[in-house]
Amino acid sequence: MTRLLLTASAATILLGIGGAMAQEYTLGVSNTVQGNGWREEMICAIKAQALDSGMVASLNIAHRNTDAAGQLEDIRNLIQAGVDAIVVNPANPDGINAAIKEATDAGIVVVAVDQAVTEPSAYVVSNNQEEYGYLGAKWLFEQMGGEGSVVYMRGAAGASADNDRDTGFKRALAEYPGITIAQEVFTGWQQDQGKQQILDLLSTGVPFDGVWTSGIDNVIVDAFVESDAPLVPIVGADNAGFVGQLATVEGLVGAAVTNPGSIGGAGVAVALQILGGDAPAEQTVLVTPDLWDNVSDEGKASIAAAQNPNLDPEWPVSVSIEGFTTYTTEEIIACKGPGE
Amino acid sequence: MTGVLNRYGWSLGLLAILAGLLIATRIIQPNFGVSGLDSLARAALPFAFCTAGMAIVVIAGGIDLSIASVMAVAGVIAALLMQQMGDASAGLVVLVVLAAGIGMGVINGALIVLTRGPDIVVTLAMLFVWEGVALLILNAPGGAATPWMRELVVGGLTLPGVPAAMTMWVPRAFVVLVALVVIIWLPLRRSKLGLSIYAIGSDQHAAFRSGVAVGRTRIAAYGFAGLFAALGGLSITLSTGIGEPIPGPYLLASVAAVVLGGVALTGGKGGLLGPIIAVFILRTLRLDLTLLSVDPNVTTIIEGTIMVAVVMAGGLLAMRGRH
Repeated sequence: MTRLLLTASAATILLGIGGAMAQEYTLGVSNTVQGNGWREEMICAIKAQALDSGMVASLNIAHRNTDAAGQLEDIRNLIQAGVDAIVVNPANPDGINAAIKEATDAGIVVVAVDQAVTEPSAYVVSNNQEEYGYLGAKWLFEQMGGEGSVVYMRGAAGASADNDRDTGFKRALAEYPGITIAQEVFTGWQQDQGKQQILDLLSTGVPFDGVWTSGIDNVIVDAFVESDAPLVPIVGADNAGFVGQLATVEGLVGAAVTNPGSIGGAGVAVALQILGGDAPAEQTVLVTPDLWDNVSDEGKASIAAAQNPNLDPEWPVSVSIEGFTTYTTEEIIACKGPGE
Repeated sequence: MTGVLNRYGWSLGLLAILAGLLIATRIIQPNFGVSGLDSLARAALPFAFCTAGMAIVVIAGGIDLSIASVMAVAGVIAALLMQQMGDASAGLVVLVVLAAGIGMGVINGALIVLTRGPDIVVTLAMLFVWEGVALLILNAPGGAATPWMRELVVGGLTLPGVPAAMTMWVPRAFVVLVALVVIIWLPLRRSKLGLSIYAIGSDQHAAFRSGVAVGRTRIAAYGFAGLFAALGGLSITLSTGIGEPIPGPYLLASVAAVVLGGVALTGGKGGLLGPIIAVFILRTLRLDLTLLSVDPNVTTIIEGTIMVAVVMAGGLLAMRGRH
C-alpha cells in the first residue's frame, strides 16, 4: 500500500513538473512608444506568439511613451516582477544596458527586438535599419535616372532608428552625385505632421523629383492626389495603406521597403527557444528588409500577394516572419495574449 | 505639536500613502526588498530633481514648461563633455553642466521679466528653443558617462565604522537626492531670497510694496529651477550612460508631483518635501501596476484617477480645517 502511494505521489510530482515545463513562463515586455501603428502591431505579434506557443502563462507588458531612463525603470520593475524573459524594443542601443545586465545577471533571458542593444548578454532580433534607408534610397535615385532633387522625409529627430536610416540614405546619396536634397524634414513619425509638411512643399512650388519617407507614406500619396499635383516616385514602408496605394493609385510609381512590426513575435519565439535550452547559435539575428516596387514584375507580384484589406492602414503588411512566428493572421489581428 | 501637524500635515499624509503603497508592494511581490528599493530610488532621481525645480518656480508664482528640455540640454552636455574630457575631469564637467542649467534658467526668468510675457507663454516658447539646442549639441543619442560617477548612485549605502548590514538597505541614489536637496533648499528657504520667492508667489504687489525686488527674485527662482533641472539631466545621463537629445516625460510628471505634493499652483504655498514624497508615490504606483501586470493602456487612467482623488481629498480636508 505504502509502495503504491509512493509510486502514485512520484507520478504526481513528475506530472506536475511536466505540466510546469509545458506552460509556466512569464514574459515581460518593454516598449517606449505608445499609439503608433507599427508598435501596436509589434505588441499584438508578441501577444499572438505568446498565446500560440502554449508555453506562456502570462504576459507583463510595460508599454508607455517614455525615454531610456523610463525604460530602465520599466525593465527593473519587470525584474522585480520575477519574469522569466524580457522582450524589449530599446529606446536606444546604449541607454538601457545597465538594466539589461541586471536582468541577465538575475538569470532572465533578454531579447532586444527591432533595434540592437550593445549589451553583450542580450540576444538581438533586429530589423536592419541602415539597409532600410539604403535600399529605398538607391531604388529611388535609380528611378529618377540619377538626376534631380529629392524630398527627404525622416522619422523623429534624435531617434537611433532614424539615425541608422540616415546613414543608409547618405550612403546611397554618395553613390549618386547627380541627386540633391530639395528639402529635409522630420515627420516625427506622425501622419498629420508629415502630410502638412508635404502639402506645404506642394503649395510653395518647390521643385522636386522624388520623395523618400521613413514610413509616413500613405498620407503623402493622399496629399499628391488631393492637391492634384503630378506624382513623383515615392518610397515608403510596407504599411498596409501604402501597399494598397501602390497597387491601385493611377500613375503612382513607388516602392515599399519591408520593416516588419511582427519582429516582436519573432522575439518571443527566440526567447522561448532559449528558455527551452536551445539558444540560437548567433547572438544577433538581423532581419534584412526587402523592397517591393510596382515597376518590376517581381515587385508587382509581392505587392499583389501582400494586399490585406483587413489590416489597419498604419500596420505593416508583413504580419509574420518566416522561421520564427507561428500564429495566423487572424490571431495577430485579434491581438489577444494568454489569459485575455 | 499641532503646529508641526499643520505645517507638515500634507506631507505626513503623503508619507502614510507611500508607506501603504510600499506595504502593498511587499504583499503583491513578497520578494520585494533591497534591490527593489534601490531601483525605485534610481528611477525617482530624475523625476525628483525636476520636481524640485518645478516646485520652486511654482512657489514663486510661475511655471516652467521648458524644464524637460533644459534637462535634455544638460544631459547631452554632460554626456558629450564626459566622453571628450576623460574620467579625471568628470567633476569639472558636473560644474559646467550645473552652470549651464543655472544659465538656461536665468535666461528663462530674464525673458519673462523683460518681456513681461506670461510665464506659461515664455517658457512654452523656450521649450522648443532648448529642445533645438539639445539636438544641435547631439543629433542622436550618444556620448558617454564617466563610469565611477555612474557607480555613485548604484547600490546601497556604506558608511565607514558602521556595519554594512545596518545601512545597506538605504539606496545611495536616495542619499544623493536628500543631500543635494537639503544643501540647496534649506539655506535658500531660510534666506532673504527664499522669503522673497514665497512673497512674490503669494502677492506680487504686496511684495513689491514691501521692498522686494520682484524681477530679480523671479529670475533667481528660475535659476534655481535650472540648477535642479541640470541635476535631473545629469542623473539621466548617469543612469543611461549616454545623452539623449529628445526630452523625456518629465514636464507633466513634475507638474503632477508638485500639485500632489501640496504646492498651490497659484504660488506662495508649499515646500519641496511634499512634492518629492509625491514623486516616490507615483514611481511606486507605476511599479505596483507593472507587478500586477495591469493592461498598459489602463495604467495611465489609474495613475490619473488616483492623482485627482488625492488632490480632491486634500482640498476637502483643507476646507474643513478652515471652518
